[in-house]
Order: sequence, then structure tokens, then C-alpha cells
Amino acid sequence: MQPRPLQLKALPLLLGIALGAVAIPAFAHFLVVYTPQTALVRATDLPFHLVFTHAFNGGPSMAMDKPQRFYYAKRSAPNEQIEEVDLARYLEPIQWAGEQGPVSAWKATVPRNVVRSLGDYQIVVEPTPYLEEAEGLYIQQFAKVMVNVGGVPGNWSETLGLPAEIHSLNKTYANWTGGVFRGVVLGNGSPVPYTQVEVEYLNHDLDVANNTFVADGKIDAPHPSLAAIVILTDANGQFSFTLPKAGWWGFAALSVGPENEYNGKPLSQDAILWVQATDLPQ
Amino acid sequence: MKLACTFTAVWLLASSQPLFAHTPLFDCFDNGDDTLTCEGGFSDGASATGVGVRMVDAQGKVLEQGKLDAKGSITFKRPAGGFSVVFEAGAEHALTVLGDDIT
Repeated sequence: MQPRPLQLKALPLLLGIALGAVAIPAFAHFLVVYTPQTALVRATDLPFHLVFTHAFNGGPSMAMDKPQRFYYAKRSAPNEQIEEVDLARYLEPIQWAGEQGPVSAWKATVPRNVVRSLGDYQIVVEPTPYLEEAEGLYIQQFAKVMVNVGGVPGNWSETLGLPAEIHSLNKTYANWTGGVFRGVVLGNGSPVPYTQVEVEYLNHDLDVANNTFVADGKIDAPHPSLAAIVILTDANGQFSFTLPKAGWWGFAALSVGPENEYNGKPLSQDAILWVQATDLPQ
Repeated sequence: MKLACTFTAVWLLASSQPLFAHTPLFDCFDNGDDTLTCEGGFSDGASATGVGVRMVDAQGKVLEQGKLDAKGSITFKRPAGGFSVVFEAGAEHALTVLGDDIT
């Protein structure tokens, strides 16, 4: 499937700029899978918020149906099979507040006893496709975030066979600010050369008590291209990005999955990966 | 706070090992049925299968001992008094979790 052309999606942005409106790139959709800390010394309850939004700008957010799947994949020992544990039972619908009014989103508290073992947890959200009426297509973003308990590495470098997936070449939970993160974009399990990867900083903290983003962002991007950064994979589908600031960085590869139609409309199957950067202690 | 301090001590001990040597890592959980499960591993992903684990009382008397299984795990009955669990990953690799920190 051909990638969704940026040129088309840039049109609303250009119109927005021309009209003096807030410049929110229409292509910058991100399924945010937020949990406060992914490098855990000891197991604890894991809170999650799932919000389909524009990460850098903290909105506008889009209504999100209940995910088709929400689970983790873990390998308990080097020679053991990867185990998938369904987490959908912990999902609760919420209304996520924003300037355009509340939209449906989800939260979950995964109890400690479900995530108590040492090692890596690849947490996956396979959402129900979202109809982006402005673009006349459905968007389905397969999103991953990893949590490590206790420092014992596990399956962080393994792929899960998602239709659209970013293969992590670094631990997503173990990155100092200024470090280089590397990944490979996979479509139906194969590397996707020279495809666009959008990189966005989660610029607005989540106010999880009030189900909204904190109004003030951490960065004022002087140019739209620095809010929604676009890079290309190389001939092997690999990309790298230096993480310039502590916090969450989202990587999105658009339209790399094999399915291209849903409910009679075009479908974009995207891959999302969230990476947490940590400042060096003073 | 006590739990956090104790485990921080465990973490600092573990992280004082030489860089690129595999650092031992260890923790235990209460199963809620008068048993507790301990898991061990190494920072490079090496298997801890067969590594010895012993449970000792406050005087150092061994209450139970065994070896980690194929999943790097072992389960003990929880004793009534004070105790700790020691992960015996070599002379410089022993890690201890206090019973009070096992919840």
C-alpha cells in the first residue's frame, strides 16, 4: 500500500497558517498510550490512559472506540514461549476533555499481581479503526509501549507480528536524554524502506485526575516542522532519532500495514511506538 | 519508606557490580496464600536457572533453600517470624530481600 501522502495532509496545515489559525498538522494523529514510568525497580499497579490525539499540541483529540485488543506480551525466561495476557478487562471508558469538548477515551489500572514478574512487558493497543472524516479514511494505529520491572531484560527487542509495527532496536524504557533511539518500521512483518516516520514529543503533560492535557506545553515549536518532525527510514527500513528532551517521544509510521480498506473506505494501518527519555541525574 | 530504602540498598548493591559483567537482580512477592515467590535474573538477560536461593531467619539460620527453576522462580512457605531471602549468585553477587519488604 502506498503511504498516505503528506502533501495532501499538509493542505489543511497550510490553510490554517494562511488563516492565522493554530497550526495543527492533520497528519499528526497519535494514539497516546500513557503510563507515568516505564522503568520500574519494583512491580506496582500500572495506570494507563489511552487517548487518540495530536501529541505535540495536546489536542484536538478524537473519539476512541473500545480497542479491539489491549494486552501485554512477555517472555518469562529465555527459553520460554512469549505469553500474551489480555488486559481488556481493566479498560474503563472516560471522557477526555479538550478545547473542542470531551471525547471518549480509555483508562486502565493493571494490578500489580498481573505485572509483578521481573522483565519486559510489551503492552499493545490494537484500536478499532477511527473514521477520519476530513480525510475520508479510517485510521488504525497499532501502538506499543514497554514496561520493565526490576531491570531484567526480556523480549524488548522482539517483534510481535503486528500488521504495522516498529521494531525497537533500543530499550524504549532505558534512554538518557540525548541518546539515540533506533527502530525498524515493519509492514506485515517486513521492513519498509524510505517510508515516513513522524516523531512527536508529548508536549503537554497528562492531567490524569481530570482526564485532560495540561494547558501549557513544555516547548514552543518555532515552526510546524519542529512540532511534527518527519524523518525517513533508510533502505533497510531503519531510522534513528536523537532524543533531545526528557519525557515521552512518539514514533508513527503511517499506512504500512497490509489492509487498506475498512467499511468501504480506505484504511491506514499505522505503527506507533512510545519511547521514554530520562535526564541524567545531577 | 522502609521498603523503598531497603530495596534501594539492594539496587545500589546490584549496580555496584562491574560494567558489562552481568548484574544480578532479584525480588520476591507475597502470593497471598502464606507462600511467597522469588524471581532472579541478570541484567544481560542470562538465565538464572539453577542459582541457589535460601531463606534465613534473623540469626542467619537457614529455614528453606532451593534453586531457581527454568523460569528463574522459586516458591517458599512464608515463615511466621522475621526472615530474609538471599539470592546466591556468586560470592560478590549475593542479594538479600528482607521479609518485611515482601508484599
